[in-house]
Amino acid sequence: MSAISSTLALIRKDVHSELRTRYALNALLMFVVTAVSTIVFALRSDQPTSSVLSGLYWVVVFFTAMSGLSRTFVSEEERGTTMTLQLVATPSTVYFAKLLFNTALTFALTIAVTILYMTVFSNAFVIKTMSIFIGTVVLGSLGFASASTIIAAIVAKANTRGTLYPVLSFPILIVLLMTVMGATTKALDGEELSSALGDFQILVGYILAMTGGSYLLFDYVWKD
Amino acid sequence: MMDFLSQNQMFIVMTIVLIIWAGIVWYLVRIDNRIKQLEDHSKKG
Amino acid sequence: MKFAKYGSIALITFVLIAGIAIPLSPTPQGWLQFPVIPGLGEKARNILYHVPVAWTTVVAFLVSMYYGFRYLKTRDIEYDIKSVSSAGLGFLFCFLATITGALWAKFNWGSFWNWDPRETSIFVLLLIYGAYFALRSALETDEKRATLSAVYSIIAGITVPFFIFVMPRIMSGLHPGAKGDPDGSGPVVQFKMSPNMLVIFLLGLLGFTLLYVWLLNIRVRLAKLEYERSSHQS
Repeated sequence: MSAISSTLALIRKDVHSELRTRYALNALLMFVVTAVSTIVFALRSDQPTSSVLSGLYWVVVFFTAMSGLSRTFVSEEERGTTMTLQLVATPSTVYFAKLLFNTALTFALTIAVTILYMTVFSNAFVIKTMSIFIGTVVLGSLGFASASTIIAAIVAKANTRGTLYPVLSFPILIVLLMTVMGATTKALDGEELSSALGDFQILVGYILAMTGGSYLLFDYVWKD
Repeated sequence: MMDFLSQNQMFIVMTIVLIIWAGIVWYLVRIDNRIKQLEDHSKKG
Repeated sequence: MKFAKYGSIALITFVLIAGIAIPLSPTPQGWLQFPVIPGLGEKARNILYHVPVAWTTVVAFLVSMYYGFRYLKTRDIEYDIKSVSSAGLGFLFCFLATITGALWAKFNWGSFWNWDPRETSIFVLLLIYGAYFALRSALETDEKRATLSAVYSIIAGITVPFFIFVMPRIMSGLHPGAKGDPDGSGPVVQFKMSPNMLVIFLLGLLGFTLLYVWLLNIRVRLAKLEYERSSHQS
């Protein structure tokens, strides 16, 4: 089996098992709704500024991702399928499959949060520069996934999985979060695309560095 | 006494800092020697 | 190692005395006077201590990463011992750097913490160290602990250049070298130090680095003794 077809097969397997149980999708969606509701109650009638809104946007994405993304590896451990996976596929295939799955999951998450925010904060959450917003969301999802996937693999091997995952991920994701929040603020404020190019450069650099590093190190984490 | 203290503040600070530092150094040297003893002990025995 | 031990004691003692005792003057003459840096005054003396401590914590982190990398290549547990020992020291120095920085910030700019890029990055480093030790305590076997913590420290290390070089470019901040600084930005800032101050500063840098080397040596020897004792008993 060529590398690409085995990667696709792995992704298809993950998607199928997700669609069968819908566990991750439901839990994450509920988490998003809960988080946004809490924010709405906290703000009441106050209309937040664009920088506050973009911060809250990514806060919701971050915490939902933290509660969900580790499942890609932890579920394998829980179901006992890790060893099968180790036998059947090369480490790099496994890594890229999980990475792409996580990216898709995060991207779906951002879409959900966007829709919710546009409904709930219809006055304040108006995206004036769509190009910046789309670029930020796409690159942000890739960035989130590229950093979180290997941390998920690390945490799956440890004892206290749940709380350890955010603790390990946060310092690594801070760079991403700050850049992405700044870019989203620019999108809400209606600034030119050119002003966000610096942010995009950082994001691309971050994605490349994280994916490259994770790819090189994944072998050590995956093999017992 | 107070005049002396308020005018020579720098030297008061320096003395305190040096005392603390001397304490740290003494502690570290003590640990270093203890470890050396243990290492020789385990090497012989 | 003797050099590190006596060298660090001598250098740091010297820098402590010289840094505090030498008076400031607007027109410094000769070796025994420091210039007055505008806006800082007496508080400038902190440069001689805060910067070397911050420098040492970065060195400790890089060393810990290096030994982690060596462990991954050779699976020799001794490298893991060195990696943890260095990380522990790095944590301590990071703590000290944060505190000296916060005190300086209070006296200079009015508040203990401002989230300027440099402050944020030392905070992130603190978080990375904390996460590193949290990870280690959650892993049971020696090999797993060594492997996974080495991987984590390398991944975390990859994000560090982003902090040092990129963030200050984007965010304006209080530290020199950030966007709003009229002196221009750069990762290593040229302080306006006179030659005698520069010499003392560099000696202090060397002294603290040697102190780190000595402390690392002590910690590694101690850890090795404990390891041997525990493996002999079992």
